Amino acid sequence: MTTNGTNGAALIAVDGLTKRYGDVVALNGVSFQITDGITGILGENGAGKSTAIKILLGLLQPTSGSAMILGQNASESVAARARVGYMPEHDCLPTQPSAAEFLTHMAEVSGLPPSSARTRAADTLRHVGLFEERYRAIGGYSTGMKQRVKLGQALVHDPAFVFLDEPTAGLDPAGREDMLSLIRKTHREFGISVLFSSHLMVDIERTCDRIIVLQGGRLVQSGEVRQFTKEMETVFIEVDDNRDALVAALARRGVQVAVEHTGLTIEGPDESVYDHVRDALVEAEAPLRRMAPRRRALTELFAS
Amino acid sequence: MTSTGTVFDIGYQRYTEAREGRRRSRRAIFKDGVRIALGLGRGGRAKILPWFFIVVLSVLGLGFALVAGAANRLGGPGTAEKVHLPSHSDYYGIASIILFVFGAVMAPELLCRDKRDGTINLYFVRPVTGGDYVMARWAAIFAVMTVAAWLPQLLLFLGLSAGDPMPIVYLQQHWIDVPRFLLAGAAMALYVSTLSMLAASFTSRRAYASVFLVGLFVITTPFTVGLAQQIGGKAGQWISMFNLTNIPVHVNDVIFGDVSQITEQAPARKLGSAILVSWYFAWTLVPGAVLWWRYRRLG
Repeated sequence: MTTNGTNGAALIAVDGLTKRYGDVVALNGVSFQITDGITGILGENGAGKSTAIKILLGLLQPTSGSAMILGQNASESVAARARVGYMPEHDCLPTQPSAAEFLTHMAEVSGLPPSSARTRAADTLRHVGLFEERYRAIGGYSTGMKQRVKLGQALVHDPAFVFLDEPTAGLDPAGREDMLSLIRKTHREFGISVLFSSHLMVDIERTCDRIIVLQGGRLVQSGEVRQFTKEMETVFIEVDDNRDALVAALARRGVQVAVEHTGLTIEGPDESVYDHVRDALVEAEAPLRRMAPRRRALTELFAS
Repeated sequence: MTSTGTVFDIGYQRYTEAREGRRRSRRAIFKDGVRIALGLGRGGRAKILPWFFIVVLSVLGLGFALVAGAANRLGGPGTAEKVHLPSHSDYYGIASIILFVFGAVMAPELLCRDKRDGTINLYFVRPVTGGDYVMARWAAIFAVMTVAAWLPQLLLFLGLSAGDPMPIVYLQQHWIDVPRFLLAGAAMALYVSTLSMLAASFTSRRAYASVFLVGLFVITTPFTVGLAQQIGGKAGQWISMFNLTNIPVHVNDVIFGDVSQITEQAPARKLGSAILVSWYFAWTLVPGAVLWWRYRRLG
């Protein structure tokens, strides 16, 4: 993987960020740091995700607090924006030009010379899977193709950091999977760090290294996604008979079990749990119907 | 013989070459603005209106040249001037309404679409300020309007030279018309571009901006003419100053040192060159400053 040479330093540093619209508080004293990698910013609609991104991009001014990107304040340093990409959630594409012309133009607006801009537009459209369709007017594209053009314009000038605001919005399952795959590829093959906002936990879980959770304009959680997923792992067991005896046998082996309507759930299991389950099943003479690893949804974790 | 081959690594790659910053950004927005204004790189429908106006303006210039040329051929050298056939000093007065409508159609294309499509946010996350953006767009419409204003005058000049029985003598006697029409054309383009862009900056709907601008230019003319005649005197002269189509034509008259057929009856003419030119600059610089200020806040 190519790295952008940040050596773990914070690419984004947000400190005490607050944004008020009259009486409405969109962000309330939010602080976090983002280093190299794919970071997910998760929250329900209105949680403050887009507001945070727009402040970082310099599109909005914060009421108080600071937001630094690549070591500079985006609203004050215009030059810093040359190394930043942004894929907005809302419609942002002109209908008349072709994707090739639009990306070439956007690369030039980012400061690339015309000849390089043309080459990079073609290369980027190949990367997002629109090379064959690049000379068609954008107005005739499907939703999925438009999302790819939006991603392409965010990447065409080779940013060090890219903000993706709800990149899977409006996509069908196959399109969503393709988009998530493109985002992973963008970081892992080209070293471009990503801040990826979504209200879909499964997208964040499958794509991101780290996660930031906003709720009602406040920071609820931040950390490694692996840590969260580890906390979410469970083993589900269903037996035909002797369920109570099995629970007692597991308890004697120090395994904590939650009894559900149809079976038993063991939380945060390690490798030794499977041996204990095998021995307990034999001891309790409980016929095993089903045993499978299962994961709690992130929502359950945050709710708890 | 040995054969050699080259491996091309196609696809997305890191960019390590020069980044040219805001200067390149401004040039790119200017270039894009010119392409939008002329419908270049767009479908056929986008080309119809701009090229229609350019053709109409040019045909008007050619028409002047043909009529003057025919008069000079039939009546002898200088006949066109003697019978006061329209020439360079009259052109912008006669063509002004076409230039105003052209500006009213083109300016919203440059500003309103970006707002309506949401593309404007993509500019402001790049190394571009709101001021850079709007100045580049303004420069694009100004460039197109200037060329559209100069082209027919150039055709007229070439036509008059070629149509004169003694072309060399005509060029020697009338070369001064060239810098005059270049300056007057630029003044006309500056005025139309700035007012049109300011009106377009207030809405994201192209039709609203175009209708407002056409209404503004067309309605103020009969309204101010009627009112100025009714009131008369100094007050009438000042009311006549608010005839928006005449403001750049008065400057044209000052540049050519001649009164065009359009402003001949305008009471404002009596206020003097200094006031007319100052009034023109007030109507150009103030809208320009407001336009810049509105976009400066955005990016």
